[in-house]
Amino acid sequence: MRIHDLDGLHDIRRTGLMKLLPGKPRIGVGMGTCGMGNGAREVFQALERELERQGVDAQLTPVGCFGFCAAEPLVNVHIPGLPLAVLGEVKPDDAAAIVQAIALRQPPLEKAICKIEEWDHLTGHVMYGRGLPELPHWNEIPFFKGQKKIVLRNCGLINPEDIEEYIAVGGYHAFYQATQKPNVTEIIEEVKKSKLRGRGGAGYPTGVKWDLLSKTVADQKYIICNADEGDPGAYMNRNEIESDPHMLIEGMLIGAFATGASEGIVYLRAEYPLAVQRLKRAVAEAREFGLIGDNVLGTSFCFDIKLVEGAGAFVCGEETAMIESLEGRAGRPRPRPPFPAQKGLWGKPTNINNVETWCNVPVIVARGGAWFSEIGTAQSTGTKVFSLVGKIRNTGLVELPLGTPLKNVIYDIGQGSPGGKRVKALQSGGPSGGCIPADNFDVTIDYESLAQIGAIMGSGGMVVMDEDNCMVDVARYFVEFTHSESCGKCIPCRAGLDQALRILKKITGGQAEESDIQDLEELGQMIKEMSLCGLGQTAPNPVLTTLRYFRHEYEEHLRARRCRAGVCEDLFLSPCENSCPLHMRIPQFLELTKEGRIADAAEMIWLDNPLPGSTGRICQHPCESQCRRKTVDAPLNMREVHRFISDQVFGGPLLDEVRTRLAGRRMAATGKKIAIVGAGPSGLAAGFYLALLGHDVTIHEAREEAGGMLRYSLPQYRLPKDMLSKELEIIAGLGVTFRFGQKLGAGVSLDVLEAENDAVFLATGTWKAARAGITGEESPSVWHAIHFLEQVARGEPTQIGQKVVVIGGGNAAVDSARTALRLGCEVTIAYRRERQEMPAIAEEVTDAEAEGVRLQFLVAPQRVVTDKRGRVTGIELMRTKLGDYTLDGRRRPMSTSEKIVVPCDNIILAIGERPDAEPLRRFGIHVRENDTAAADWVTYETNRPRVFAGGDLVTGASNVSSTMATGKAAARAIDHILTGQDRLPALLGTFDVAQAVPPEPEGGARNVSEEMPAAQRRANFAEVMRGLTQAQAAAESGRCLRCDVRETCSAKE
Amino acid sequence: MNWTPVFAGVTKSQGLSKDEKEREKGPKMLAPDNTPLPNEIINDIIARHPDKTGDVLSVLEEIQQAHPLKYLPRETLDYVACRMGVSRSQVLSVATFYSFFNLAPQGRHTVTVCRGTACHTRGSKQLLDALKASAGFHEDDEAGSATSFTTPDFGMTIRTVACFGQCALAPVAAIDHEIYGHVSDFKLKKLVSAIDKGTAS
Repeated sequence: MRIHDLDGLHDIRRTGLMKLLPGKPRIGVGMGTCGMGNGAREVFQALERELERQGVDAQLTPVGCFGFCAAEPLVNVHIPGLPLAVLGEVKPDDAAAIVQAIALRQPPLEKAICKIEEWDHLTGHVMYGRGLPELPHWNEIPFFKGQKKIVLRNCGLINPEDIEEYIAVGGYHAFYQATQKPNVTEIIEEVKKSKLRGRGGAGYPTGVKWDLLSKTVADQKYIICNADEGDPGAYMNRNEIESDPHMLIEGMLIGAFATGASEGIVYLRAEYPLAVQRLKRAVAEAREFGLIGDNVLGTSFCFDIKLVEGAGAFVCGEETAMIESLEGRAGRPRPRPPFPAQKGLWGKPTNINNVETWCNVPVIVARGGAWFSEIGTAQSTGTKVFSLVGKIRNTGLVELPLGTPLKNVIYDIGQGSPGGKRVKALQSGGPSGGCIPADNFDVTIDYESLAQIGAIMGSGGMVVMDEDNCMVDVARYFVEFTHSESCGKCIPCRAGLDQALRILKKITGGQAEESDIQDLEELGQMIKEMSLCGLGQTAPNPVLTTLRYFRHEYEEHLRARRCRAGVCEDLFLSPCENSCPLHMRIPQFLELTKEGRIADAAEMIWLDNPLPGSTGRICQHPCESQCRRKTVDAPLNMREVHRFISDQVFGGPLLDEVRTRLAGRRMAATGKKIAIVGAGPSGLAAGFYLALLGHDVTIHEAREEAGGMLRYSLPQYRLPKDMLSKELEIIAGLGVTFRFGQKLGAGVSLDVLEAENDAVFLATGTWKAARAGITGEESPSVWHAIHFLEQVARGEPTQIGQKVVVIGGGNAAVDSARTALRLGCEVTIAYRRERQEMPAIAEEVTDAEAEGVRLQFLVAPQRVVTDKRGRVTGIELMRTKLGDYTLDGRRRPMSTSEKIVVPCDNIILAIGERPDAEPLRRFGIHVRENDTAAADWVTYETNRPRVFAGGDLVTGASNVSSTMATGKAAARAIDHILTGQDRLPALLGTFDVAQAVPPEPEGGARNVSEEMPAAQRRANFAEVMRGLTQAQAAAESGRCLRCDVRETCSAKE
Repeated sequence: MNWTPVFAGVTKSQGLSKDEKEREKGPKMLAPDNTPLPNEIINDIIARHPDKTGDVLSVLEEIQQAHPLKYLPRETLDYVACRMGVSRSQVLSVATFYSFFNLAPQGRHTVTVCRGTACHTRGSKQLLDALKASAGFHEDDEAGSATSFTTPDFGMTIRTVACFGQCALAPVAAIDHEIYGHVSDFKLKKLVSAIDKGTAS
């Protein structure tokens, strides 16, 4: 079996090719650890059984992993003469159909995701066959598009446990070539010419390192493969060894031959049992074939490889620590110099390279350094394998030419975050790396560019974070890791990280002070500059980069004691409460509802949210996206439960009870006078809380009645106005005075208000319609949504015509469309993006469609088409197509040349609103570029002391609960300033609520209120949603998993 | 102006208090077999490693695997030091430095929750906390640390790993070295109760 020369190698190659292309069907099952974690073993066994049962002659073999982890288990099927078909998400149940198809010599197309016609193994070439036009080529599907497989050249295609298959695709030929060079310096020159840099993270030129070792004279030299892949989030080395162990061995052989080392050591993590097993087997096979051992390939070269299992210490990835460990000691780094090339393992010259670095070597020798250096950028040549994981749809191992823009990886290859949440950041390079914010995703991936923005390429771990990840928690997580992995030898790292962790825990625990951020920053710099080894020098990177790019999150934890992502548990009651802008104590009112304590539930709801009848109907319900019940079946219908409670209150004697209870909570009169301008939801919320806190509150409103957008924009069929009036009566009943017909700048002057009151709160909303900037916009038949909706809400007659096109995709567009429909029109909504990107509440869109509203996507308005007499006859729309991803993770709508005209007689533009900033400017209040008022984001105080601003005026057009939340926060701050005490938490009080977590999820499927049938509702303005029944509300409440009761052992560490 | 959090969750420990635990179980159970490994087994392992001083890690790894309770008793460490001709302090330093080595008996089953970054972003901390709580772990418990906890009856050890390298399946847990991907707290509790009943694969 020993190979002595090229002929011997060729013989094995022929045998191997017979296995790879056996002249009969071959089925390869991806059997990496992650494939097996997804059931690849069961698939293999099922295929085995089916082949036997159906009597089909085919070769079934395990192969490595092709990298597309999200589609595991992967199976590839090759039928002679046809392309190799790659099947994804194969289940054991699919085995029968797959084998059936193979029996008919047809590829099983049902599960096929792509095909491979021919494959360049770079040291060899395999032609599978052409055909199967119905299947895309492998590099045409999003996940593989733009990938270039050099390191992963064989992964997923050959059997990693069979050296003959490796030799069949050209394996060990590069090594043979190397042994034939007249001078070993030629090999080193090629590696230098390739500009290959260390793939473990530091990026030191490999050729230079080899040169040093080869020039050092010693009786014994070592080469080491660093396979102690300790970076959490990186697993490319595991896959490289599991899927193609011989490429590593061949790389080390070439390295040893070039540098004169006679012993190689692979230091491999014990946490990778399959990699250990496969590498052991590969070493044994290579020895059997005479590729390692004495007189390799008939030359005088002797080389052996030993495998050492690491025992779980991250610091051992540092080369001097690894040497200590290999010498049988604790892995504590040594100072350099002397460098390992001079004095390494057992004092002998030693070279350490990462797995992936070694794996590149055979290709460089086979194809030449010049060829390799043309891939990638001038400074960062070749490819790098990245593990794309975290909050990303297409997880997997991605091999890319260096210099690829990061956004291609996240959005094109990875397809963004699952569940459509916004990607916030990428953590690159593990605990030594940094967090890159989404705004910087146009950075290219290479050593220099990443270093420039404070991150590193590191070993290639790419962990994607979305809006549900807290960046302060991420920093804490990494410092917790490096803190526990610090070897303790040098003080900056050992004690510095300990201090840093303490501060981070204070911040995530809601105990920090403002000075802590600066301390943290200084501490990070100190640790970076003064630590002995790479671990300490890079450990502050996650902290420093999050401080640099996500400082607002630190400040939010510090100033508002809030963790928006809902991760830092000490700062909130439950995920739903945390995501609710009003911070309603949702699990508690659900529990009260479940127990039938309706009056208590109502009191709690009103204390948290003074307009529950409105929010119960129209809230965007962000709570549902955070509800943990959705991991079981569907999220809780929290919105409709609190609507149920409010309906109970308005429908009977409970109303007096609630009014009495609220009045009983009113604090003693403070004698402070507060003026609020604007009786929309924000002003109403501020007025409600300030009145309960004992202040004398007057709300000045420009229109004739209170409610703002709720009254003048929300259609009656969603929000009945008589219910709204009842809510307003409760607020008025608490002593809030309303003055109508008072417009800021006209009837009411800010100077006067300021002089006559102790504080002023401005919440005048966004009542100016944005212009579309298209020809014909001035026509009286072109409406702006808020004007149209207000006219209808006031009951005034509207000349809306017969055929209406609504431009826009938000709630105002859908409300306008459904309103126009109810006025007897035929309605089309035209939106420039796709359905899933419509900002409107999804249920509203579905309802609109059911009622008969047409939806047209990917069109942008061009001009209003009129006839000779100037009457509107249609709207010209340009068809758009989705182009490149922009940095916000959405694809840019691009104009095409195709224009269409939709006939219509009226057009409603629902493309946004903005505030009227003129009166503010006149009073010297700072206004931002988009006309919103500039106010502090915690207290809502403006540049004029004791003048506060909130609602849409500050945030721009938003939604009812967000805008109310600003009023609530401003009320807290105003009270705090006027009384010197933070009294709002005491006002909200506590309720005695049972604290039992259901052992199993209870309550069955999600309860939804009955809807009036679409056919009935399209002709009138009667309310569509009828509300939950008592039984439904009780059942729905029982579905709560009670995340507010923490089943934890270490909430406070 | 800094706010204080208005609401915070109620932390409710699931486990029994220490006294309750004592009462419930009666006398504390001892490890089923806490004797050191027979010297012959240790000698065999050492003999397979000719490169004596450098192989301390490998030798200790194999000995731990050979021990029915998957740990390194103090006597064993002393014996290894003596037998391999390295100082006892060096052997102890190695055994305490690497997270792979256990200095206390381990449970019959091991549940390992991955604490890698990908798993962390997908909620592995909550998984671990819930699992430890349901197994009766207390913060102030002497029988466990933040990273490892063995139930008093030695039925199960709950531990963490820096990263399994199974990041695409996050969050990941392993039960007796069998990897389970995309686990939720419900799924993990089910799997764990299955091993309690001896029905897990």
